[in-house]
Amino acid sequence: MNVQYFATFRELTGERARRIDEPPATLGGLLQALSGRYGAAFRRAVFDGERLSAIVIILVNGRSVHFTGGLDTPLSPDDQVSIFPMVAGG
Amino acid sequence: MFGWTGTILRIDLTKGTVNREATELKLAHEYVGARGLGVRIISDEVDPKADPLGPDNKLIFAPGPLTGTFAPSAGRYDVITKGPLNGVIAASNSGGAFGPELKYAGYDALIIEGKAAKPTYLWIKDDEVEIRDAAALWGHTTPDTTDLVRDETDEDAKVACIGPAGEKLALLANVMNDMFRAAGRTGVGAVMGSKNLKAIAVQGNGAVKVADPEAFRAAVMKARKMIQAHPVGGAGLKAYGTDVLVNILNSIGALPTRNYQDGYYPTADKVGGESLSAKQLIRPKGCFSCIISCGRVTKVDSPGYEGFGEGPEYESAWSFGPDCDIDDLDAITKANFLCNEYGLDTISLGSTIACAMELFERGFITAKDTDGIQLVFGNTAAMVEMTRKACMGEGFGVKLAQGSYRLAESYGHPEYSMTCKKQEMPAYDPRGVQGIGLNYATGNRGGCHVRGYTIAVEVLANGAEMDPHVTEGKAGLDILFQNLTAALDSSGACLFATFGIGGAELAEMLTAATGVEYSLEAFLRAGERIWNAERLWNLKAGFTAADDTLPERLLKEPIKTGPSKGLVNRLGEMLPGYYLERGWDENGVPTKAKLKELALV
Repeated sequence: MNVQYFATFRELTGERARRIDEPPATLGGLLQALSGRYGAAFRRAVFDGERLSAIVIILVNGRSVHFTGGLDTPLSPDDQVSIFPMVAGG
Repeated sequence: MFGWTGTILRIDLTKGTVNREATELKLAHEYVGARGLGVRIISDEVDPKADPLGPDNKLIFAPGPLTGTFAPSAGRYDVITKGPLNGVIAASNSGGAFGPELKYAGYDALIIEGKAAKPTYLWIKDDEVEIRDAAALWGHTTPDTTDLVRDETDEDAKVACIGPAGEKLALLANVMNDMFRAAGRTGVGAVMGSKNLKAIAVQGNGAVKVADPEAFRAAVMKARKMIQAHPVGGAGLKAYGTDVLVNILNSIGALPTRNYQDGYYPTADKVGGESLSAKQLIRPKGCFSCIISCGRVTKVDSPGYEGFGEGPEYESAWSFGPDCDIDDLDAITKANFLCNEYGLDTISLGSTIACAMELFERGFITAKDTDGIQLVFGNTAAMVEMTRKACMGEGFGVKLAQGSYRLAESYGHPEYSMTCKKQEMPAYDPRGVQGIGLNYATGNRGGCHVRGYTIAVEVLANGAEMDPHVTEGKAGLDILFQNLTAALDSSGACLFATFGIGGAELAEMLTAATGVEYSLEAFLRAGERIWNAERLWNLKAGFTAADDTLPERLLKEPIKTGPSKGLVNRLGEMLPGYYLERGWDENGVPTKAKLKELALV
């Protein structure tokens, strides 16, 4: 699995991407693991208490997890996960 | 009057006369200002069949009732006219500080008529208005023009002007103000050039009066706090600029690539906002009364691409970048600088160059047509050189500056022009995002994202989230965004204020500023009225339901690679419902009942 970080998540993690060979079964598990790795600021950016933050955009294979089960989104080793803070433009 | 100034300036360049008129209160209430007011005046005074570059077209510069107040991001104004690129009723919106200065000088609108006998500029200082000789300005870039005009008027004057492209009546010509802000689309700069009007300099020593200062202040402070608290309005846009969108659009596979031949660009990250912030960015910049500061002051040092200015925005980085298969952000930034200096629309020019690249690769044009240049996708030097030629009106650039529709049609292949109603679509592939496709197809000025920015909900989760792959509910979404944006544009606030506030907060500030009661419903109805007025005018100009469509490519050719591989846009599932919900008949014509409801008969 490849996890890609964009905008402020690059500052939060110090990275652009990370390979994860044996990902957790769900997005929730992945975010917990990544929070453990990157620390409290990352945790606060992706979680709102126990729930997925409303101001983060997470895509799995290009699809917003809002439509694939949120934190329960199942993950497999070939997936591409993209993590964005809420962004905008035009 | 409050909010509005109560005065409109009418300038006849043929006769050399300047007249002051009272702003009609009823029209101001119903059409709000800026875009709406301009649309109403053009509707009343310009024949929809008029030649857009002829003396019977009129050119309106209009701020809104909030423009120049300390409402958040309330610095906008519109340039309204019959658009030469495609014949629609055009309204190009811009920021900076020019709009507020018009208000301080005392004006709700400038209506410019006729044609000057020779190059001319306007110097407006409160109620003193001079029509001056612009011989010394003609031929100059927009930054130089701004400096020269200020030398002759006042060093603090705010200036809107055209560059050499507008002088040459290029159909993609824009109006630039405050050096680097653009009233970009639909060729409004060519109208200004056709009137031999090079620049408008304004200085105003008045103020904007508000009806209920205490209520206004409270509403403004509340709105400012909401924007500040919003992750985008309060921080994200300032950090990365609009170009931050490159990676998210690419990650969903809806970043149009190589003239919309695909929707995914493997090296997109090299041209995104993160890269821009690391390399070309000097500092962020905000317009009048704006804390969002999405503007980018930028510089390029690479040999061959040296320059200084502002931008690129997302759409511009896309059009000169992935759409041309180019990932050199220095070159892209240089192309953007050139367009600003010479006064050409970046979205349309980049997309036109991409169209030319496809025509070249398919053999419909050759190096004989393109001044010996190998105009293929990925040729960075060629992209910049073609941009320069278009800006200066040289060689093949003359054709490029007329837009991709005329270019492709002249070589017998209009199907390669990625336009709606002859105006280039921006940087969101409708095969990957259904609702923006409906917005492009039904847009009153042609290919345009900004007037019905469903991306906010389909991709960016701003306030709500809808699946970009479904068509259900998109008619309603488009209509809401189109109506709200028309009202917002007309108020003088910036669209980016919606990263934080909504229609309710805008209506509240408008009520307190003007003393006219605008409920949220009345505010949205004004937007609906403006949208319908634009539609009516376009129908009279000759547009029909057949023009409410997308290029065949987007309806028939699936995206080839990336997360949206295999998808097409399903416009047919959305358009009938859109007409119905708008209260139009099956030919997209507003019904009598709808017109009566909106007081448009």
